[in-house]
Amino acid sequence: MVILLACAGTSSGYAGDSESEVAPKILAMEHMWGQAYLNKDPKALERILDDAFVNVDSDGLLETKAEVLAEVRTSSVLQFLTESMVVHLHGNTAIVTGVFLIKGVARGKPYAQRERFVDTWLYKNGQWVSIAGLVTRVEQ
Amino acid sequence: MRTIVLLLILVCSTLLSLSAQESADGDVATAIRALESDWVAAQSRDDNRALDLMFDNALVYIEYGRLVTKGDYLSRVKSAKPQLSQIVMEPMTVRTFGSTAIAVGTYRDKSVSDGKAHFGRWRFVDTWVYKNGRWMLVAAAAAPLSK
Repeated sequence: MVILLACAGTSSGYAGDSESEVAPKILAMEHMWGQAYLNKDPKALERILDDAFVNVDSDGLLETKAEVLAEVRTSSVLQFLTESMVVHLHGNTAIVTGVFLIKGVARGKPYAQRERFVDTWLYKNGQWVSIAGLVTRVEQ
Repeated sequence: MRTIVLLLILVCSTLLSLSAQESADGDVATAIRALESDWVAAQSRDDNRALDLMFDNALVYIEYGRLVTKGDYLSRVKSAKPQLSQIVMEPMTVRTFGSTAIAVGTYRDKSVSDGKAHFGRWRFVDTWVYKNGRWMLVAAAAAPLSK
């Protein structure tokens, strides 16, 4: 009983790893994120985005997890390259910044965009999940 | 009978714990909103000391697609001409995840450069982490809202 009550009030856990141990795990999931857009497959994203995840896209629009997953299903992305990714660890929270280049075809017209992003990851229930993100165009 | 009493105690304790958690989340949201407001106030009076206290040393800030460090940000505030920019915050949402909080909202800004006024509206995502007894800003980013 005491154990049950103690558990009811605890937070979601703590990663306990150093930045050098956490960074490769987070970066692998960031790559998975890009692959989801390429493959139009939201399955992996469902697992790595928290249910309360929110994203702000480069037009300043707010997207929920469900909206991001729907966007992935109808993705027009043909190339997705990430660069300059850096992970900063703050206990059970990790901040990732980086730049990605996306190329694709939308409404019959090819496009290419270079965007900078910041994602917030949280160690929750024994795994890392993304809880927020924002993307903004890199000025040429 | 003993089992029923134990179950009742467990249910009540869980409800109390959830209630306390909701209250704590509300307190955190209030604290984060106050900090966001303090940030704008400190910036409007070019108060680098106040900003230094609320910004984590590893702060990453993204604006206009550029990555700005804490040092860059504070240097810019230090060299800024007073009263040439104004920020008006709009309603924001704060989500709490234990010792992490995410603030999402919009703001309007007005800046003057080369004698001309520029207006913009932005959506931001800020990440705050509870460290050493206080909330610190560890990441902040804003994207211009399309008209």
